[in-house]
Order: sequence, then structure tokens, then C-alpha cells
Amino acid sequence: MAQFPGRSPTSVAMRRIQAELNEWLLHPPEGCRLESFEPLLNWVILVQGPENSPAPGLPRLYDGELFRLAINFGDHYPLEPPEVLFVPPSPVHPHIYSNGHICLDILYDGRNGGWSPALTVNKIALSLRSMLASNTNKARPAGDMDYCQRTRGRSPKQTNWEFDDDKV
Amino acid sequence: MEDDSDYEDSYVASDVEDYPTSEDGDYGYDPQTEPEISMRRAAYTVLSEEELKLRQQEALQQVMQVLSISEGEAVRVLRHCKWDVNRVNEEWFADTEALRDKIGLVDEQPTGSGRRKESCGICFDEFWVSEMHAAPCNHSFCRGCWKGYVHTAISGGPAVLSLRCPLPDCSAAVPAALVTAVSDPKHREKYHLYSLRSFVEDNQRLEWCPAPGCENAVEALHEVSNEAMDVTCRCGSSFCFNCKEEAHRPVDCETVKKWIIKNSAESENLNWILANTKPCPKCKRPIEKNQGCMHMSCSQCKHEFCWLCLASWQEHGERTGGFYNCNKYESAKKRGDYDAESLKREHARVSLQRYMHYYQRWAENDRARSQALSSKAEANDKKLEVLSEFVATPTSQLKFILDAWAQVVECRRILKWTYAYGYYRFGDNIPDEDTAQKQQQGFFEFNQGQAEMFLEKLNGVVEKDLDNLVEEFKREPGLSEVAPDGSVFVDQASSPERQAVWSKFREQLIGLTEVTRMHFVKLVQELEKGLDQLLAFYSEQPEAEAEAEVEPAAVSTAEASGSATPAQQATAKAPKRSKRSRISSRAAADKASNSAAAFSLQEADSELEAEAGYWQCRRCTVINRDLNSQSCSMCAQNRRGPISAS
Ligand SMILES: [Zn+2]
Ligand SMILES: [Zn+2]
Ligand SMILES: [Zn+2]
Ligand SMILES: [Zn+2]
Ligand SMILES: [Zn+2]
Ligand SMILES: [Zn+2]
Ligand SMILES: [Zn+2]
Repeated sequence: MAQFPGRSPTSVAMRRIQAELNEWLLHPPEGCRLESFEPLLNWVILVQGPENSPAPGLPRLYDGELFRLAINFGDHYPLEPPEVLFVPPSPVHPHIYSNGHICLDILYDGRNGGWSPALTVNKIALSLRSMLASNTNKARPAGDMDYCQRTRGRSPKQTNWEFDDDKV
Repeated sequence: MEDDSDYEDSYVASDVEDYPTSEDGDYGYDPQTEPEISMRRAAYTVLSEEELKLRQQEALQQVMQVLSISEGEAVRVLRHCKWDVNRVNEEWFADTEALRDKIGLVDEQPTGSGRRKESCGICFDEFWVSEMHAAPCNHSFCRGCWKGYVHTAISGGPAVLSLRCPLPDCSAAVPAALVTAVSDPKHREKYHLYSLRSFVEDNQRLEWCPAPGCENAVEALHEVSNEAMDVTCRCGSSFCFNCKEEAHRPVDCETVKKWIIKNSAESENLNWILANTKPCPKCKRPIEKNQGCMHMSCSQCKHEFCWLCLASWQEHGERTGGFYNCNKYESAKKRGDYDAESLKREHARVSLQRYMHYYQRWAENDRARSQALSSKAEANDKKLEVLSEFVATPTSQLKFILDAWAQVVECRRILKWTYAYGYYRFGDNIPDEDTAQKQQQGFFEFNQGQAEMFLEKLNGVVEKDLDNLVEEFKREPGLSEVAPDGSVFVDQASSPERQAVWSKFREQLIGLTEVTRMHFVKLVQELEKGLDQLLAFYSEQPEAEAEAEVEPAAVSTAEASGSATPAQQATAKAPKRSKRSRISSRAAADKASNSAAAFSLQEADSELEAEAGYWQCRRCTVINRDLNSQSCSMCAQNRRGPISAS
């Protein structure tokens, strides 16, 4: 069986992240700007609140707001998803906790997760923007305070997520 | 029951075809066709890992042929349909497209030309298309990325069996062949293991043997209902196919579940009850229980007592007329008048006491069963060898000792569960007017008591009596002969005296094993038929017919006995050669008012004895081959009468 030279997880991860970075710099997703990618495993993305409303006549909930999204890659990227969370203050949204944890299936693997190694940071950023754009109820998830208490200092990847309705 | 002739190598717990399914209320016993104690028969087969793989392969081949699909597709379809081939056919032909869609079967997409480079959607490197792999959807990824993807999924658990294409929004199933082609041996093995587990765990007719370290599975050979079904694995462990608890027939799964929950809820109140030592009721010295039998004797004052109720063993049935009472729950007497508050407390006290009665007997029988299991192993390992020399008999002919132990193990288990049954079946305090309940309770407790009495006897003989016998053999000087060369040749083992002692013991133990077994067969049959139905049947018999069939001998026995047992007080009516006991409704009502409500089982006893070809003396347990004689050839004890004092 053919061996693949230089395929330790870290080198795969680094080459893939580099490739994504090159792609991002050429074609950044709409409303997003890469604020920092130093070191290469930790990105910070500036996300503009969508300026359009979910439907004609509805209020534009996040127009003019600016959010910081932290992407932290692990050694097993892209087989495992990166850690993705908003740097507080996070957008007020029924699927986003005030500590920045996001309830969205594609960000997690495991039992209920929807992560695929063919997903990219670019696609993650776009999904999050459309999650904000389609929202009609500017409120925190139920039990927000309680959740933040319980998960203090923990990665959102450690939470056992239940994804009920992923489109709000 | 179904025809199971397709399974040649199956072992069926007992002959299914012969099971009387008729509703005619025939409770005749037929030991020839009923070697097992449990009545409702389970047809099943035990499969090793290799045999399971073969079964799985058979199912795959069948589906591949009928639906003309690939093996990878067949695996998905079968898994979706819980490995039920009939269900596969139904669902597939009902709506093929919907099913294929649901489980991610896509038509093979054309592959592009191999001499072309493409970027891998995971690592973003370029590869020759010919070096890449894809599910039938033809979304190609490089081999290294496939390997990482598949290994990650395998490490994530059995969900890998439903693995889909890595491309988001593509739901194409990844075929098993692709998974195994890209994974290393360690992961491949794990994947095969998951696949086999799915075959067993998703399949209604298969269950893993729950014994630690055992890798066999049990396959039911008929439609599975949610009723209790005891099965025994090749490794020797018995469990209920339906609820996975240890085997618990004749009690249903629901009762077992309730009982186990109850015990864990009450566990704080229970620790003291399972003491290893109790003070001797007479001299108060601590007595340790280190054997299974409940018949204790104090090493100091020689007092013999019952471990369970602490009453003197003499008053325990054996020598007082054959009616064993220890199993019976006597509800605590009310003490005077109560105000509401103390009445409530009194109720709590009584209901705890009642629970304790049943729990203690359940738990002690459980403990005695474990003890019997290890005694059996011990006998097998070394005791038989020692004995073999003492009695000049090859160990192969001492197997009856192991059989006796096996019988003790099985009966302890059954007896144990009948206490959980008794606890739930009969309420805290059955009102005197409820004659039906009273009758049923009396009937149940009488038969439980009889079975228990014989079990204690059997346990005592195979445990203490055998040990004592061996001790005796050790001490016995035996025969000495002076051989021609002047040396002293000692051969105790084959002396006629010892052979006589030994053959008497042997006969007693074999007989006792059989009699105990038959009593438990009877008990199990009654519980599985249902007490109410059984009693309704008895009392429905027309009065005239029942009276006409009264056997004079039976009545006179009862009258003649000074200390008649409750069974006999209950005007025994044993029809002569009728197939079943018949008791008039008036007689049944009499018995109920007697509150003992025990029924004569002499008729059933005679049938058991007729089948066995002998009857066993209730006093000295010797086997009597003359079925027509009414008194024991050894001790002259009356065959049916109360046990006379020695
Ligand atoms: Zn690749
Ligand atoms: Zn695909
Ligand atoms: Zn087993
Ligand atoms: Zn069960
Ligand atoms: Zn004593
Ligand atoms: Zn007792
Ligand atoms: Zn006798």
C-alpha cells in the first residue's frame, strides 16, 4: 500500500489552513474581514451584522453591528472541526449564548454533529451570517445565564448539543 | 410455535411440538416429554462469533440475490430493516426510490477519465483522479483523506455503519468495501466488530449472552414476544431473552423489574437482613452460615433451627406432619386500637415487615444458589476424585452428585423468584371475605412450601450428609488382610459394608433429586398456568361428579391422622383414575373458610410417582419401587400419612 509522505495530522492541518488562507485572501466572503491570522492556528474574523432584513417589512436586527469570531484550529483539522465562537459581546440571537458559544450543527462532530472535513472557514462564516440574517427574534437562548455559569472556561466543543431547529 | 426445521444444528430447550397447547385444562405431567422444569418452551439456538458471521453472510446473500443489489447496498438495507429479510422485501418493493433515498443509496455516477488531476475537497492538494476514491456519488477525495475520515468515524463508534460521503449536503452512503479498503487492520477489525454487533443488536431475534467474557449470541427460532423467555448459553449462564435479567421463569419480566427497583430503593433497610452470623436461638452463641442449606445446627448446644425464621427445625414441617410453613407470610396481628397517626405508623410497620419476609427469602435463596454453584464446581474439581477412591467407583459413575447440585442451583433460582411473585401477587392484608384470593394464596403457599421442603432436604443431603459420609470413610479402619508376602493390605473402599452404605446414599440422593425436580415442575406449571385459572378449573367441576369420584382411601387417611396437615384437613378428594384432581365448589368454599385453603395434591403426586416408577418415603427418603404398597419398606412410614416421629 502506498504511503503518503508528510501526512502527519499536523502537516495536513497546516497545509490545509494555508490553502484556506490563500483562498480567503483572494476571495473573502461577503461582510467578513480577517482581522488576524497570527499564529496560523488562531484566526479572528470581523463579521458585519447583515444590513438586509429577513423579509420585506421586518426590522434589520443587526444592521451596523460588528462582531468578532474566533476560529481555533486543532491538530486534526479538518477531520475534526475547529473551535468556533464569538468573542463577547456576541450577537443577541436565540442560538448564540452571551459567552459566545454557538448552537449550530455544522460546528460540531460526534453524535448529532454535522461537521464535514469538506467544510471550510469560508463556509462557516457564510453560514453564521445567514443565521443572523434570517433571525426575527432578537433574544438570548433560554437558560443563557445558567449555561454560561456551567460552561465557564470550557470550549463549546465540550457541550453536548441538541440541535432542534437549526434554521431560525 | 413455528416450524423450525430449517435449523438443523439448533438446540431446542425441549420438544416444542409436544407442548400441549389445548385449552382443555389437562394438567397431567409427562416427564418423558418435559425434561425441563420451565413449562413454556423456548426454541432457540446459541451462536458463536463464527456462526454469527455465517448467519449475517446468509442474510446478505439472500437480499443481494432477491433485490439484485451490491453487498454494500444490502448491508445498508438490512441494517435499516433491523436485519429482518422479510421486512426488507416489503419495504423495498413498496417504494424502492423512497427507501434508497432514505438510506443514501445513489446510482453509480460515471467516473471521469483517470488521466486528469483534481483537487481533493479535504486537503486541497491535487491528485490524479485514478488515485482518488469516491462513494457511488463520485465525489472524489484522496486516499489519505478518506483514511483519516474513515478512521475518525470508526473511533467515533458504531455510527460509522451509517457513514455518508464527506461532501456537505451529499447523503450518499459510503460502502463497506470503501471503508475497509482505506482503513488499517486495527480500524478494519473494529469496523467488522461494529457490523457484527449491529447484526445482533438491531436484530429482534438475536441477543448477546450477558455473561462477562462470553461472545456467544442466542437466536430465538420463533417470533419474539415480550414475554419472559429463559435461555441458557453454551457458557452455562442463563438469562431472560426478553429483559436480559438472569433467568426468572416462572415469574414475568414486569414483576422482576418491579422487584429489583423495590430492592434498590429499600437497600438501606436491607443490609442487616443478610447477616452471615446469627445468634443461636437457644444458647445465643453466634452461628455462622457457610453453606447453602437453611437447616442449621448449633455446634455448641446442638440445637437445630431454621436460618430463615429461627424456629426449631423439628417444628418446621419435616417431623410434624409434612406441612412446611416457613415460606408462609403470617400478617402481623393488630395490637389494640389506634388513633389515626399510630394507625398509619402501624401500617408502615406491617408493610415493611411483610416485604422483609419476602425479601429475606428471595435473597437467601439467591445466596444459597451461588453457594450451590461453587459447591458443584468444587465437587467437579476435587471432591469426586477423593470420593472415587473411598468407594472404589470411577468418577464417571458419581455424576449423580453433580446432577443433584445442578438441581439445587436450578431450584434455588426458581424458589427465589416465587418469593417476588408472592410479594406482588397477594396484597398486604387479604380480607376474609375475599375467598378467591385466600384460596389462591393458600394453594400457592402450600405448593411453594412442599417444593421448598424437598429442596432443603436435597440440599442438606448433597451438602452435609455427603461431607459427613466422607469424614466417616476417612476414619473407618476398614478391612485388613494379610497378603501372602506378609504385608498388610487394606481395602476399605470395596468392603461390602461400605458398598452397602454407599449404594443406600446413592439411591437416596438420586431419588431426592428426582422428587425435588418434580415438585418444582409442578410449582412452575401452576404459576405459569395462573392460579386463578387453575382454581377456577378445579371448582367448576360439577359437585355430583366430584363427590362420586371421592376415593375412600384418601378420606380415611385424613380422618385417621391425629395431626392432620392443612392439606388433609381440607377434605382431600382424590379421584381414582381420573386424569385430574376434581374438587367441588362446595369443598373449595369449605377450604376457604378453613383459611388454610390448601388443596390435596395427592392425585398429582400419584401421577408423578406413576411416571417415575417409584414413590419416595417422606420420612427416610428411601425409594419404594412397589407402587401399590402404602407403607415404606424401610421404616414402615405411611405413604400418605403424616410423618411419624422417629
Ligand atoms: Zn485529500
Ligand atoms: Zn458524495
Ligand atoms: Zn454465554
Ligand atoms: Zn425477563
Ligand atoms: Zn446453640
Ligand atoms: Zn423457617
Ligand atoms: Zn421410610
